[in-house]
Amino acid sequence: MDLIYSVIAVIGTLVVAFIVSLFLPGIERKFIHARIQQRVGPPITSPGVMAPLKFFFKQTITPESSMPRLYNALPIISLIVVVILLLFLIPEMYFLGALASVIALIGFLKVEEVMYMFMGSLSRSVMSVRMPFPDKAKGAAHPETPQSFFEDLSSLRAFRLIAFGSFPLYIALFVAVARTGSIYLQDIINYQQVHGPILFSVAGVLGAIVFFIGYMILLNEYPFSILKGKPDVIEGPYMEYAARYRAYVYITRGFLMFTLATLFSTLFLGIAPNILNPSFIITLIVALLFPMFMAVLSAFSPIFTYKQFYPTVAGVSIIGVLAIVAALL
Amino acid sequence: MDDKKENRMVIEAEVPMGTVHPAALEPYRLRLFVEDEIVRDAEMTVGVNHRGVERIMEGLPVEKANSLTEKICGICSNIHIWNSCRVAETALEIDVPERAIYIRVIMGELERLHSHLLYLAHGSEVLGHETFSMRIFYIRETIMDLLEMIGGNRVQYGSAVLGGVRPRCELDEMRIKKLTAGMDLVEEKLTAFADRFVSDPMVMSRITGVGVTSQKDALRLACSGPTLRATGVKSDLRTEMFEYYPFDFEVITQDDGDVKSQLLMRVFENFEAIKIIRQAIRDLPDGPITNRSWEMQDTPITKSYIEAPRGTLYHSYALEDGRVRNCVIRTPSMANIGAMQYSAIGHHITDAQLCVVQCDPCFTCTDRAIEIIKL
Amino acid sequence: MSLKSYSRGRAVHVMLVYTGGCNGCDIEIVNCILSPKFDAEQYKVFLTWNPREADVLVVTGPVTKQNEQPLREIYKAIPEPKAVVAAGACALMGGVYKNCHGDIPSEEIAGPVDQIIPVDAKVPGCAVRPQDVVAGLVSALPLLLNAE
Repeated sequence: MDLIYSVIAVIGTLVVAFIVSLFLPGIERKFIHARIQQRVGPPITSPGVMAPLKFFFKQTITPESSMPRLYNALPIISLIVVVILLLFLIPEMYFLGALASVIALIGFLKVEEVMYMFMGSLSRSVMSVRMPFPDKAKGAAHPETPQSFFEDLSSLRAFRLIAFGSFPLYIALFVAVARTGSIYLQDIINYQQVHGPILFSVAGVLGAIVFFIGYMILLNEYPFSILKGKPDVIEGPYMEYAARYRAYVYITRGFLMFTLATLFSTLFLGIAPNILNPSFIITLIVALLFPMFMAVLSAFSPIFTYKQFYPTVAGVSIIGVLAIVAALL
Repeated sequence: MDDKKENRMVIEAEVPMGTVHPAALEPYRLRLFVEDEIVRDAEMTVGVNHRGVERIMEGLPVEKANSLTEKICGICSNIHIWNSCRVAETALEIDVPERAIYIRVIMGELERLHSHLLYLAHGSEVLGHETFSMRIFYIRETIMDLLEMIGGNRVQYGSAVLGGVRPRCELDEMRIKKLTAGMDLVEEKLTAFADRFVSDPMVMSRITGVGVTSQKDALRLACSGPTLRATGVKSDLRTEMFEYYPFDFEVITQDDGDVKSQLLMRVFENFEAIKIIRQAIRDLPDGPITNRSWEMQDTPITKSYIEAPRGTLYHSYALEDGRVRNCVIRTPSMANIGAMQYSAIGHHITDAQLCVVQCDPCFTCTDRAIEIIKL
Repeated sequence: MSLKSYSRGRAVHVMLVYTGGCNGCDIEIVNCILSPKFDAEQYKVFLTWNPREADVLVVTGPVTKQNEQPLREIYKAIPEPKAVVAAGACALMGGVYKNCHGDIPSEEIAGPVDQIIPVDAKVPGCAVRPQDVVAGLVSALPLLLNAE
């Protein structure tokens, strides 16, 4: 009997997460961006539900790439990693021991980030070097320089982001570890059942702010969207995705928004995602609030170049370290 | 000088930004030579937009040739047709009535307003700030409504004809009231936007110190218009045009020559344009607006210079048997764009597009066949 | 109405290609998308700059010689089903540049758009009005909805 309940909890939570994450891009676009920009905006279902659905019915083309099959497989791998991330947050899966710990979660997030790098190095779009133009005419400057695609540029930036852009999120994750003294999710949740949510303390508040900035960086949302900013790299690593695979890219983004918000509610509020538990409502509320705050911040900022990125990440990381110190005291 | 630069310059790769690109409103080709995402050299290719306008104008009757010049550019269309009419009027010694001159000035300043607002919106979009871009487009709609009311079309309104202004562009009481109300609304909204823009630390850190053109370089590379005035040189052709003698306005300059100066230049020039329009409405003289009593003769090549929203515009042609011969048009963006190539060097790639856009380039105006006389 | 045509009608991605011309039509189309007065997103029309993501291609300008190849490449890169909207007098018949009938014709124009790629909807105007562009886009939709 217990086994059936566990299976229902796991599958039910995944299904509800999937459905809610389909609506998140639409809510972000209609209720926040459109209101701030003083216009009507699209219906809620359009960017999140209808767009991926429409992409499923388009012609599947072979992407221009040095390894097209690997390039097409990458969004599927990305989606599977995000689903696994959510899976190991559900309490029924904590029996897996070390896989349900903060270290494992960080590993999965790292895989997610490395995907951008691979996608960028494999894509070759018609909008960059392949645009037919007589560049090497007589009198052209530097005719022997090798030409580089936008996506390669994006891949380089992804590499930099992996190196320093992920500090805020990971430091925020360790605030919970520092407070409870254990990396296992089971222990973190038990601690918070006894002592109250970590969010309601100095370390928790600072950690929440750092987590939020790290959330925005991982999702490449304005102002941290140098990876796929419109003014120079157009779309970055996703340029050559069409039809089904683009639908997977869209779905993965919504799912990642939901999963990271669930991660926050697990580590800082002590509420694990479990559909059979009435406190699942709070998880859903956090999953709705996070994208809304992110959208408000992103509507009012330009794209940051490295000149602004480095100081922002450095400052936020210092706040994160202070939060860990406060948690240890 | 160039050899020394070559020895120290290390170029890893070339990033070409093609004819179709989101940051570019017109087709052009920009090749950036980068080392680790910092631009070491840049090359702009114009000529993608070449339609051969001067070649088509050869042999057209004067009125038709005038209305063809309007189609050279969609943003600064009025200034082309005004200048083209001015050439013929100077050559044939046509007397333009005073009321027509005032209405031409009003249309010219309205066009300056809409062009500068478009530049601010495009600049905000290249910065990545969609919200500011939409706010400016909303303010710009008031100007477009006024242009449509007077000229008949939102873009390419063709108000000037040989001898004055088209009869449709007559300003009666209702139009003057709407103009006054429109100017008040734009001034109020633009002041609010400018305050918001300047007090935003994220935007300011993006544009301060980026794409600096020194005064010496700007003069050497023959920039003109707001691009030159943003480096501190007080040079505005409107102080020498006879149409602007009755009006009282300031020549705005800024000191630094970076993107911030260019953006602020245009904002302040907007306020000056509103001032000129208000003076024109207040002092509008009575009288006819078209002078149809002139005679066609054969004339030698006559020149005319005028201050377009982007700089000094030059038209010249000769008249033979009522037809246009040997037309030469030279737009300000030709020199401005070349100067911007140098200002992008030393910056990050994302800033390089911003540096190119900072001079308000109008590639459609610029694409002519150029003959280089002296390097 | 099957799920296929319902979803195709509720999320339309538009790509804009400008091929020379005076740029007036491009500004008006950008006005469509970025100006809150004409906001095309409320009609479920999204702007994209990636041909792999687009359903509808909006072309403005008479195609100049150097823009012919890029236009063909971009058209080939869009996956089926696709529709092309030619906006503006230049895109429809070469505009003023091809029809001025002066002494010397222009040799820089590679012809209006339908000589290069097949066109499904035509929007006249010089420059087009934003309302007309949205109407033209909507009129090209049935082609997408009923396609394979």
